[in-house]
Amino acid sequence: MKKILIYIYGLLLTAFGSCQSYLDIVPDNIATIENAFNMRVSAERFLFSCYSYLPKLSAIEHNPAFTAGDEFWVHENYPTVGWEIARGFQNINNPYLNYWQGTTGQGSNRTKDLYQAIRDCNIFLENVDLVPDLGHGEKVRWVAEVKFLKAYYHFYLIRMYGPIPLKKENLSIDAGLDEVKVPRDPVDAGFDYVVELLDEATSDLPPYITSEAAELGRITQVIALSLKAHVLVTAASPLFNGNPDYANFTDKQGNLLFNPTFSMEKWGKAKEACKAAIDAAEQAGHRLYYYSQSGLQHNVSDEIRIQMNIRNAVTEKWNDEIIWGHTNSMTGNMQRQSTPRGVDPATRANANVHGNAAVPLKIAAQFYSENGVPIEEDTSWDYTGQFDLQVGAETEKYYIKEGYTTAKFNFNREPRYYANLGFDGGIWYGMDKFNDNDTWFVSAKKGDPASNVTRDKFNVTGIWGKKLVNYQNSIGETSYTIEQYPWPIYRLANIYLLYAEALNEVDGPSPEVFEFLDLIRERAGLLGVEESWASYSRNPTKPQSKEGLREIIHQERLIELALEGQRFWDLRRWKKAIEVMNAPITGWDIEQKTAEGYYRERILYNQTFTTSDYLWPIREVEILANKNTVQNHGW
Amino acid sequence: MNKLLHISLRLIFLFVGMLTLSDGIGRENKTKVSKRTFAISSVGVDMQTKEVRGTVTDSTGSALPGVTISVKNYNKAVSTDVDGKYILDVPDENAVLVFSLVGYDSQEVSVTGRAVIDIQLEPSSSQIEEAVVVAFGRQKRTDLIGSVTSINPEELKVPSSNLTTALAGRLAGVIAYQRSGEPGADNAEFFIRGVTTFGYKKDPLILIDNIELSTTDLARLNPDDIASFSIMKDATATALYGARGANGVILVTTKEGKEGKARINFRLENSVSMPTKNIELADPLTYMRLNNEAVLTRNPLGELMYTEEEINNTVPGSGSYIFPTVDWRKELFKDYTMNQRANLSVSGGGKVARYYVAGTFARDNGVLKVDPRNNFNNNIDLRTSSLRANVNINLTPTTELITRLSGTFDDYTGPIYSGGGFYTRVMRANPAKFPAYYPIDEDHQHVKHIMFGNTVEGNYLNPYADMVRGYKDYARSNMNAQFQVSQNFNFITPGLSARALINTARVSFFDLVRQYSPFYYARGGYNIRDNTYQVNIINEERGTDYLTYEPGQKLINSSVYLETAVNYNRTFAEKHNLSGMLVYILRESLDANTSTLQGSLPFRNLGLSGRATYSYDNRYYAEFNFGYNGTERFYKAQRFGFFPSAGVAWTVSNEKFWEPLKNVVTNLRLRGTYGLVGNDAIGEGRFLYLSEVNVNNPDMGAVFGRNNGESRNGVSISRYSDLNITWETAAKTNLAIELGLWNRWNFIGEYFREHRTNILQERASSPASMGLWQTPVANIGEATGQGVDMSLDYNQHFSNSMWIQARANFTYATSAFKVFEEYDYENEWWKSKVGYPMNQQWGYIAESLFVDEAEVANSPRQNFGEYTAGDIKYRDVNDDGQITALDQVPLGYPTMPEIVYGFGFSFGYKNFDVSSFFQGAGRETFWINPEATAPFVSYYYSDAERSSGTRFTNQLLQAYAEDHWSEDNRNSYALFPRLSVNPIDNNTQRSTWFMRNGAFLRLKQIELGYSLPQNWTDRLHMENVRLYVNGTNLLNFSQFKLWDVEMAGNGLQYPLQRVFNIGLQVSL
Repeated sequence: MKKILIYIYGLLLTAFGSCQSYLDIVPDNIATIENAFNMRVSAERFLFSCYSYLPKLSAIEHNPAFTAGDEFWVHENYPTVGWEIARGFQNINNPYLNYWQGTTGQGSNRTKDLYQAIRDCNIFLENVDLVPDLGHGEKVRWVAEVKFLKAYYHFYLIRMYGPIPLKKENLSIDAGLDEVKVPRDPVDAGFDYVVELLDEATSDLPPYITSEAAELGRITQVIALSLKAHVLVTAASPLFNGNPDYANFTDKQGNLLFNPTFSMEKWGKAKEACKAAIDAAEQAGHRLYYYSQSGLQHNVSDEIRIQMNIRNAVTEKWNDEIIWGHTNSMTGNMQRQSTPRGVDPATRANANVHGNAAVPLKIAAQFYSENGVPIEEDTSWDYTGQFDLQVGAETEKYYIKEGYTTAKFNFNREPRYYANLGFDGGIWYGMDKFNDNDTWFVSAKKGDPASNVTRDKFNVTGIWGKKLVNYQNSIGETSYTIEQYPWPIYRLANIYLLYAEALNEVDGPSPEVFEFLDLIRERAGLLGVEESWASYSRNPTKPQSKEGLREIIHQERLIELALEGQRFWDLRRWKKAIEVMNAPITGWDIEQKTAEGYYRERILYNQTFTTSDYLWPIREVEILANKNTVQNHGW
Repeated sequence: MNKLLHISLRLIFLFVGMLTLSDGIGRENKTKVSKRTFAISSVGVDMQTKEVRGTVTDSTGSALPGVTISVKNYNKAVSTDVDGKYILDVPDENAVLVFSLVGYDSQEVSVTGRAVIDIQLEPSSSQIEEAVVVAFGRQKRTDLIGSVTSINPEELKVPSSNLTTALAGRLAGVIAYQRSGEPGADNAEFFIRGVTTFGYKKDPLILIDNIELSTTDLARLNPDDIASFSIMKDATATALYGARGANGVILVTTKEGKEGKARINFRLENSVSMPTKNIELADPLTYMRLNNEAVLTRNPLGELMYTEEEINNTVPGSGSYIFPTVDWRKELFKDYTMNQRANLSVSGGGKVARYYVAGTFARDNGVLKVDPRNNFNNNIDLRTSSLRANVNINLTPTTELITRLSGTFDDYTGPIYSGGGFYTRVMRANPAKFPAYYPIDEDHQHVKHIMFGNTVEGNYLNPYADMVRGYKDYARSNMNAQFQVSQNFNFITPGLSARALINTARVSFFDLVRQYSPFYYARGGYNIRDNTYQVNIINEERGTDYLTYEPGQKLINSSVYLETAVNYNRTFAEKHNLSGMLVYILRESLDANTSTLQGSLPFRNLGLSGRATYSYDNRYYAEFNFGYNGTERFYKAQRFGFFPSAGVAWTVSNEKFWEPLKNVVTNLRLRGTYGLVGNDAIGEGRFLYLSEVNVNNPDMGAVFGRNNGESRNGVSISRYSDLNITWETAAKTNLAIELGLWNRWNFIGEYFREHRTNILQERASSPASMGLWQTPVANIGEATGQGVDMSLDYNQHFSNSMWIQARANFTYATSAFKVFEEYDYENEWWKSKVGYPMNQQWGYIAESLFVDEAEVANSPRQNFGEYTAGDIKYRDVNDDGQITALDQVPLGYPTMPEIVYGFGFSFGYKNFDVSSFFQGAGRETFWINPEATAPFVSYYYSDAERSSGTRFTNQLLQAYAEDHWSEDNRNSYALFPRLSVNPIDNNTQRSTWFMRNGAFLRLKQIELGYSLPQNWTDRLHMENVRLYVNGTNLLNFSQFKLWDVEMAGNGLQYPLQRVFNIGLQVSL
């Protein structure tokens, strides 16, 4: 007994003798942020973290350009966050698609916090010199990549919010209250800073990726120059260049946040940047994509070939036209949402084909007629009778199912119409059928394979975004095997069109403008701009004036880059959203069984757009936390 | 300061160590002495004996059997027979007899030559009068200065295997309420004097035989095994627990054996339980019609859920498989269930050792039905057993060794989701699309499985399939082994003693699931005329007709606790009473299965605590306590905290000048305390001072390459470092008055006030443009709490074996934010939390439902997405033309009751006894969950449900069916806004629209008992046999009618239970 007592007290004495150390249980090597810069391999992980903030542009829930505008429409049983904006429910209480603060939401509804992204980029730039085993060449490249990302994140925010507080350097975590309450920087300063970062980064980036298996998707000189072109065109566009709507927009100190005077110089810079990007791209081997089928597949007709030129320029991964493919946003769900159910009528019960992303009729209407001019301008196209019925003839069999009754609207359109859209009676090449004389077609009237049979998987307009769906996808009885591709953030055609736009703004119509426009049109199987307008348009001299050509360039851009998430931003920077988006969203009357009933324009929503919608609202709590932040106009 | 304390601590322990050693030496000498004494006395037995006889009676004159009569300092004892008579040989004329019986005051009588000694024993004044268990010791109730409420464990005896359900309204100072009635998950929530922090840990510290245990461990404790149950409320009572006592302490000790013959206690109960109230749902036809209404009212182009043909042909209850209707609740649940409980204890002992051994077994069944086609039981079957053995051994006359061994074991089988999960599933299953299952028809003769019903889409929720498709096992065990040595050091200086205790505990838990994937069938074609239909399988590839196994959690925790204490207690000159105590504790706990390194590190605490008391002449009292505690959670400089407290008391009724009043006011006592207590559980994580960085986070990675071949994980930060993070501290004040009238009424009233500082909270000052991963936290918050708790007892025994007891208690506790970092609301002062209680909710003022589109157009813009006529209209409080978070105002009372009270009486006459108990709560507000009750909308309780791919669609509450806004009935004040099949965020904002009053009063318990008459029990050789019936949750008074109001916002879960119970208690 005595022994036990001695033992117990002894134990306690020992324990107490070392009471500080008894509580000192945390090992020294707990991970801190410095650990990330102890070794090359962990610094590389930090670099990848900086990349991880790139917004998921292929995701219908994340990219505002899909459903927050008027390019895609969904229905109430498959709502997206963007659709709330499209219907006018954007708010300051908890703004939708809030990239300024990031939103916490369930799973895929989470929006990235781009200020957090910028902070991480700054941490990387501050600490990368500490990495002992990082070679100079690699370090220079990494720094350039992170500067590019920092520029991209700033640009993404400026495009949404206009003037933003620039985060050139990080503030310390325990910075004082006044220090953290930073005001918004004027929008011009924002664009200048983005360009400055890009200029610093470009020369240190590789001209092109040599190690394609491992590095495709990382930033190259061409990507940086393309972004610069895009940034400068944006800065020169009416929304940001002398916009009278924001003439009196100042911060609390009275500083103007928007420069109220228009500057042609901005277009000049944009033009130079576009040219530099095109030169670098062509030097790196980028060129417009033309389809060449492999030996195994059948020889296809010219009609199908041109459609494949268009479709595959987007969906064939790493084709020559792709400048920046987003490997961290592979296009899977967006293809599922763009595919009609029952392309093969035998698989109509396959619930893995969703087809919820519906293209409104006004998007279909913007495509040219077969003569390469707008349908309302075409002298030979029956604009007034466009919703009358017509039966598909043998001559159109690569576009419309022979003998199938559909609306005139679908006939005599340019090849890009058929490459971009799936519709009732339209041919759908691919999906395991590669003989173009025996293809699938879509039938979408009530009761047909592609029609609405379940509540949450149907297309509300009757028009599908075929362009985004890879032709090699395969639909089984219950499965849908999708050929995923990295989302193309920039492809060459985009830069050509930016260049054409800038050229016209600076110098008006010129052979160089037409050269680049016609390159795009030629690939799409159309005659040149001047020839088409001269021969078929009610307004044959339209391309000869700067204003007329501007309209043509805009429409060419909307068509060529349709469904690719450009229209949303383009309409804004052109300040055209207020006219284009104050119109009803319409579709076919999908609840009808007969052609007569089906081909009536059905109003889905009366969309409205006001000047305040050009910029995102800033969340109310941000303004409460930082009294120096002023709210955007109208919110 | 720290260093000084350390040195003094070490000195103290050296001293204790030396004392122990010297004890060993002292004992050797003593042993010799006692041997000699023994020799003399045994000689004495032979020499001279004398017979003494007599009768022992109680105060009413009836005989007392079983009274122990022993001779002081002599190893001999006898007991009285059934007539209270005894005969005993005593060694000499001057021997002293000791008469003792449990429940009576012992008496010592010296023989002094008498041959017949008749004795009348007085019933001992109630146990409460004697000693109260306080922190690390006991104090006489009349000496208490701190605020301690103790309860007779008998009062915690309720017909439930969950002790925590008995707390509400029975203990002054406890705020308690129960939100769920599910076996195994029905712990009540309880807080001591409410909640005065907006930090992390809000609930009290629970100590069972000195060991810190969880609420579940407390819940499983059998009241029959409890010797004392106390709660410590103020600073002097809790300061000794230093860093852990700020939220109050619950202290429970288990019974120990008493000297005497083996006493056996046996109790058997069987109870029937059923929901107190079920939510009323609309019938299937109404459901179908209103579902169509919900579609059309929002979108005239919308697709209808039911055709006219379906609606017209559906006949609820017809059993048709063509136009099916299902009452899912009937399909899944029985009306009632039976539960059994049994326990047995044996206690007794002799001079050397005493024992208390008890075993308990309880079986709680759920109300789920079981499908006879399965060969397993998917109903809830929770079997709880526990075993306890407490043994006290006198090693020497001054040394006592105590071992306490206990184990609690839960064995559970039940459905794969929790019972509450099925209640919420029933609330989200479609009643008119498909039956629970189809009978096996001619086409499916080969089928071996149950043909569960579903729709062609195949993703509708079929709760019946979920219920019978598998089962879950879990087992939890908690084993405690405790070893204690107490040494009396009277031989050094009178009144000195010491003890040392070591305890080790292991808690383990695992669960696993066995299940199959159901095959679903949907109806294809049908022919109404000859009533035939076709069913087709819809998930041929995914279903299985065999069970698969899924492992679940496996949790193991081990903990060790060491405690040594030195006590000193002595009265000088009959008037000066002095006592002192020092305790040193050390605690370590280790979790075996954690996901992070930080979680895997041991949890450690150590501390030195002390108490000094002084009292003069039973009139003036003073006490000083301190806790000096260290925890591993903070940075070195912040690790130790010092928590002092002091109190004084004055027993006015013991003053001379009170003598004239003493007959009326038998007791009047005033006391007051003030002190500091800490809380080290301030945040969810551990080591909050350290940054937390994941340098290998797959969620933050990126991927590159032609075929995405190159990927790296990324870096994420989940916490920034801050070395200043430290304790939360509570400064508590307590003022109390005790009043006793005519020896029958006892009243204790206490007023308390508390000021909590250093509450950890998020900084509101960093805008998002800072780009921080996490909002930094700091010890900047402050809060106050105050309130009163009162208890009143009445006790009277009448001479004709009739007695009455009544008691009531009342607790009011409120709190307020004092310092809270929030946005600077220049104009919207109502948004500031400062001055409002902890659980206060902010929300919008709902004015009405919009009458029409014109009103929508002419009202301030509401920023919660889609809204139109029939949706809720909110008040623009700041008048800025739109409804934003700035328009939220404090709404109603807190979500936790501020008042909890209870009252009851017991009455006994001869062999009968009756008691009843009412319990209530007040100043509580709750919200009907508008998302979970919105009809036809999909609502998910968890991400797992959301990603399961199953379509949950809310049922239609009858109340909503009867009273909602519709285009035909534009009632701006209807119970529910315009229907919708999709969530309308505008209507689910927290607002006054769905706010309800949580106050209630309920008849908690009635009990009727009958004890068999003495002559019967004697014949059975039993001491006492009592039969009783009781019922709980019998009546409820509240304004709220949809479900049991005590469940508050949780109303769609497993309902609270009404229990009828019959029991038998036998003592041998």
